Amino acid sequence: MLDQLGNGLMLGVIIAVSSVGLSLLYGVTKIVNFAHGELVALGAISTLFFSSPETSRLLYLDRFSPLGLDFGISIFFAILLCGFIGGILELLLFRPLRKAEVGNIAVLVVTIGLSILIRHLYLLFTTGKVQKFPLDLQRRETYLFIDLTPRNMKILLAGLCVMFVIGCFLTFTKLGKAMRAVRDSTDLASISGINSDKIILSTWVLSSMLAGLAGIFQGMINDIRWNMGFLILLLIFAGTVLGGIGTSFGAMAGGLLIGVFVQTSVALPFMEGHTEAKNAVALGIMIIILLVRPQGIFGRKERIS
Amino acid sequence: MRLSGRGIVTGLVTIFSLASVYILNTGNATRLILSLLTFAGIYGLSAIGLNVHFGWTGLLNFGHAAFMGMGAYVTLLLVPHAAGREGEITTSGLHIFPAAVIGVIAASLLGLLLGLPALRLRGDYLAIVTIAAAEIFRLLVRDLEGLTGGVYGIISYSDSLQKYRPKLLDSLLKDIDASLNQVWVGVLAWFSIVIVLLILRRLNNSPWGRALRAVREDEDAVRALGKNAVWLKLQSFMLGAGIGGLSGIFLAFNYGSLQVTTFVPLLTFYIWAIMILGGVGSLSGPVYGAVVFWVIISETDKIAGLIFENANGQQLAGVRFALVGLLIMLLMIYRPSGLLGKKEELLLNVK
Repeated sequence: MLDQLGNGLMLGVIIAVSSVGLSLLYGVTKIVNFAHGELVALGAISTLFFSSPETSRLLYLDRFSPLGLDFGISIFFAILLCGFIGGILELLLFRPLRKAEVGNIAVLVVTIGLSILIRHLYLLFTTGKVQKFPLDLQRRETYLFIDLTPRNMKILLAGLCVMFVIGCFLTFTKLGKAMRAVRDSTDLASISGINSDKIILSTWVLSSMLAGLAGIFQGMINDIRWNMGFLILLLIFAGTVLGGIGTSFGAMAGGLLIGVFVQTSVALPFMEGHTEAKNAVALGIMIIILLVRPQGIFGRKERIS
Repeated sequence: MRLSGRGIVTGLVTIFSLASVYILNTGNATRLILSLLTFAGIYGLSAIGLNVHFGWTGLLNFGHAAFMGMGAYVTLLLVPHAAGREGEITTSGLHIFPAAVIGVIAASLLGLLLGLPALRLRGDYLAIVTIAAAEIFRLLVRDLEGLTGGVYGIISYSDSLQKYRPKLLDSLLKDIDASLNQVWVGVLAWFSIVIVLLILRRLNNSPWGRALRAVREDEDAVRALGKNAVWLKLQSFMLGAGIGGLSGIFLAFNYGSLQVTTFVPLLTFYIWAIMILGGVGSLSGPVYGAVVFWVIISETDKIAGLIFENANGQQLAGVRFALVGLLIMLLMIYRPSGLLGKKEELLLNVK
C-alpha cells in the first residue's frame, strides 16, 4: 500500500490544483463547469504544441508546425493561454448568459455542450495519439518513505507551493478577499462597491490558469491525450465534493485525499486484478459523501436538497 | 389529435430533413434512411424516458446510459449468447420476451437504487451523482469479465429476436437494399414508441401525471397537499429508467454485438441533445428530435469531407461529436424549448 502512496500524492496534487479552480468558480458564479476538464487538457496540449520540435508531426493540419520553444517558456505561455481562453469564455459566453438571466441548470447544460465541442476539436487538431513531453526518464528515489522520481518530487513541491500561494492570495490580497465576498453574497458585495463582473472575470482567468497548470503536471507525470480532460473531470468533481463544493481549502485537501484513495485502493484485497476499476472507488466515495455529508468535510451546512 | 401550428412546422421540418437525405445520397438512400430511422427510433425511445425524468419531473439525470446498459446487459445475459475472451457459449436461456421484461425491470430497479439516495439532492448535485454512477456501472461491467464478458463484449444473441421476424417483412423488403435484421429492430422500436407514448399520454392526464408536474413546479406545495413528493419522484425515475432500459435492449440488437464502450457518457449526451431538440416536456417531441438529430448526424460526414481530404474514422467522429456539442450549446442558448416544447413548461430557469 505504501509503495502506491507516491503515485497517490502525484495524482492528488493534480486533482487538488484543478479542484481549487473548479471550486472557486462554483463559489463565485454558481456554475458547475463541466468544461473545466477541457481547460486542464488545454494546458497539456498547448505546452506540447509550444515545446515539441518543429519537425515533429503533432497535428493533422500541416500548415501548423509545433514551435519548438524551451520547456519552461512553453509552460509559461500555456498557462497564459489557458487564462486568456478562460477570460474569453466568460466575456463571450457566460457573461451574456448571466445578463440574460439564463438559469443555472441551462448554463450547466451549456458547459456540457462546450466540453463536448472543445474535446472533439482537440481530437480534430491533434492526431489522437497518446503523446509525451520530450523529457528524459528518471529513476525513482526515496524521500522519507515516499518513492518518487526527482522530477515528480519537484512537481509535488511546486503543486503544494501553488496551493499555498493561492491560499495566501485568497486570504490576504484585496482581489482574493473580493472573490470570497462575491462568493458569499453577490448582492452584498455589490453594495460594498465591489465590481462583481470584474471579480467573476478574474475568477474565470485564475480558475482556468490553475486548470492548465494541473494539465501540465498531468502531462509531465503521465501522458497527454485528447480526452484527458474528461477522464480526470469526474475525479476533480470527487475532490471538490469531498472537500466541500465552493470551499477553496477544502477542495485542496479533498483533491489530495481522492488522489491518495484512488491509487492506494489498488492495494486493497478485493481490488486484486481489478486495477482498472480504481476510479470507481473515488466516484463511490464521492456519492457516499454527498449522501452522508453533502457539504463535504470542510463545507458549511446549507440547504442542498 | 389536435394539430397546432407548431406541430405542423415540426412535422414539415422532420419530413424535409428526411427528404434532404434522400436527395443528397443518390444510390444508397433507402438503406441509409432505414438505418437512420432505426437509430432514431431507438434513441427517440430513450429520449422519451429521459423526458419523463427531466421534462416531467425536473430531475437532472446525466446517467441515462447506465439504464440503457442495464436493460441491454440483463436481457442479453438471459437469452442464449456467447461472451468473454473465449466466446464462451451459453445455449440455454430464456425466451426473448420474458428476458426483455426482466431487463426493463432491472433498469427500473437500478433507477430505484440510484434514486433512493440521490433524489434528496439539489439539481446540479444530482447531475454529478448520476454521471458518476453511470461511470461506476460502466467500469464494473468492464471489470466483471466473468459475468459480463468485460471488454470482449457479448456476441451471437441476435437469433433470439430475429427468429421472430415475420415472413411478411422479408417479402416486402425483397427488392430493397437493406439490412433485414436492422429493419426488424427498427419496426419493433417504433412500435414500442407508439405503445409507450399511448401509455404516457394516459398517465400525463391522470391525477398522477398532474401531481408529477406539480412536483416539478413547486415541491413544497405538493408536500403541503399531503402528497409524498419523494415517492412521486422515485416513481418517475423508475418509469424513465425502464423506458431507457427498453431502448438499450433495442440498441444492443441493432448492433448485433454488445461492447461496453457503447454506454459511455457521450451516449447520455446524445439523448440529451435529442430531448432538447425535440422539446423538453413535450410528449412526442423527442421522436421528431431523434429523426432530425440523426439526419444531422448522418450528414456531418460530408462536412468532415469538406475539411479533411480522405477523413479517417477519428476525424469523422471528431466532426460529428463537435457538432453535437455545438448543437447542445446553441439550442440551450437560443431555443431551450426545442421544436415542440412549451416555454411555460420549461424548468430551466430555476435557480
